[in-house]
Amino acid sequence: MIAAIRSTAACFWAVMRTKIAEQMAYRSHFILSVILLIAGDLIVPLITLLVYRSGATFAGWTLHEALLVQAIFGLAKGIAFPLFFGMVNTTLGLVREGTFDLLLLKPRSVLWMTMLRGLDLDDFGRLLSGGVLFGYALSGIDAPSIAGWLQFAALFAASLAVLCTFALLLSGLLFQWVGSSRVFDIFDSVTSFGMYPGTIYSKAVQQLLTYVIPVGLIANMPAVALLGRGGWETLGAAGASVLFLALGLWFWHAMLGRYTSAGG
Amino acid sequence: MIRTVRSIQAIGIATYKEWAAYRSHMAISLLIGPVYFLVQYFIWHAVYQDRETLNGFTLEQMLAYFGIAAVINYLTFDFADWNLQMLIRTGKFVTFALRPMPHWLFALSQKIGHRSLGFWIEFVPIFLIFQFVFQVDIMPAQPLWAVATIILSFLMNFLINYCVGMTAFWLVRAEGIRRVFLLLKDISAGLFVPLSFFPEQLQKVLFFLPFQFISYVPTRVFIGDYELAGIKLSIPAIVGVQAGAVAAMAAVTLLLYHIAIRRFSGVGV
Repeated sequence: MIAAIRSTAACFWAVMRTKIAEQMAYRSHFILSVILLIAGDLIVPLITLLVYRSGATFAGWTLHEALLVQAIFGLAKGIAFPLFFGMVNTTLGLVREGTFDLLLLKPRSVLWMTMLRGLDLDDFGRLLSGGVLFGYALSGIDAPSIAGWLQFAALFAASLAVLCTFALLLSGLLFQWVGSSRVFDIFDSVTSFGMYPGTIYSKAVQQLLTYVIPVGLIANMPAVALLGRGGWETLGAAGASVLFLALGLWFWHAMLGRYTSAGG
Repeated sequence: MIRTVRSIQAIGIATYKEWAAYRSHMAISLLIGPVYFLVQYFIWHAVYQDRETLNGFTLEQMLAYFGIAAVINYLTFDFADWNLQMLIRTGKFVTFALRPMPHWLFALSQKIGHRSLGFWIEFVPIFLIFQFVFQVDIMPAQPLWAVATIILSFLMNFLINYCVGMTAFWLVRAEGIRRVFLLLKDISAGLFVPLSFFPEQLQKVLFFLPFQFISYVPTRVFIGDYELAGIKLSIPAIVGVQAGAVAAMAAVTLLLYHIAIRRFSGVGV
């Protein structure tokens, strides 16, 4: 067990070192990319700010509370994107080029190798924008209770599981739908439901966004926990994320089984 | 002149056929467009719960704004910047430098072909979905002016993107610059929120930038009235201003192209 953990950590560190060296070769481009990611992630909060500045609100949500949802969304992406979403790019590129076979030959799990190869340092920049916004949003609300923080921690883990599942679904899709970078557009459009307070949707849509396509778990439910508006029963919704993750893992492996090499 | 028109037509048709082979990539817009709009639908319904108007827009006008902006985007969408930068970085531009046609005209012809396919696969079905499923009135108030403004918006988007693409003649990796610029362009064009939501002083700046002519102006022409930074113009007047801005942008593009092409050096591709 310890040997397996050591081996996994060694793989991870070896890839990280290479990625850092790679980024340092084009430092200005790296810095610009990080700044851009931060700016890009602040667009939705900017729109929220402009709407509130105009005197309008999302009923029952102050500006800081609405921004809290978007800050948590940014934080979750700041962790999930560098770790999981690189595998979408990896599958996109390697399957199109016919070189995905090389990953099949490695003496490690194919999924683990796909994830490792896709590690993306730029995306850690999202943590910065999400973190700053999170701090700003927290400064405008009552301090959350210990129970609120515990609920938040559990739901934030569920949020990461949901994002990881999306990465698995998109990556798996690319074994069949070769070379379509539009999978990112699908992700952006579907998850845009999760960037706003859940109460703006009808009850039926809220249920759909919690239990069927759980994008409401990405940011809205962790925010509700911090605001002290969710009971412990909200943790039940986290169970949906576990099922969703299991579905993602099954789907990815099923699609890998359908992969036909280009025979390069 | 006739030879040039025939060349444009031939390149356009070839691009149309090339992309038709990947029509599923384009057809996914039938899912993405309505999903994005559905989010807007919920957001603005929530915002308008306790008010009739916001920054001069009623709820119906706001939904129409986003619906119209979305469908116009399917007609004017452009990636000339990405394509040009890729050609320069990989050295493939050398084959275009040898052709008896400037690359900007070739790229424009490609865009005409690409968007002709987009018209059938993206614009028409999504227009019908918005109009009849979401019941948002996106019919242009003055159809002829709407056609004129879309043609001008099509050209303006191309010209700005092409200028951004030309930064690759000076920079080794221009990807970052390109993305920064495009982000600013989308914000300044009113793609995310109507420009009238911005502070008054910023609106005055945005009025004099060319970006509003890509999305904000055509959308307002569709709706039937134009206002920005407290300046109200009739539809013919704002389309006239748009035509002037496109002409100025074309002059800038040609000048930049003339300077940039001298910097290019390709190695045995």
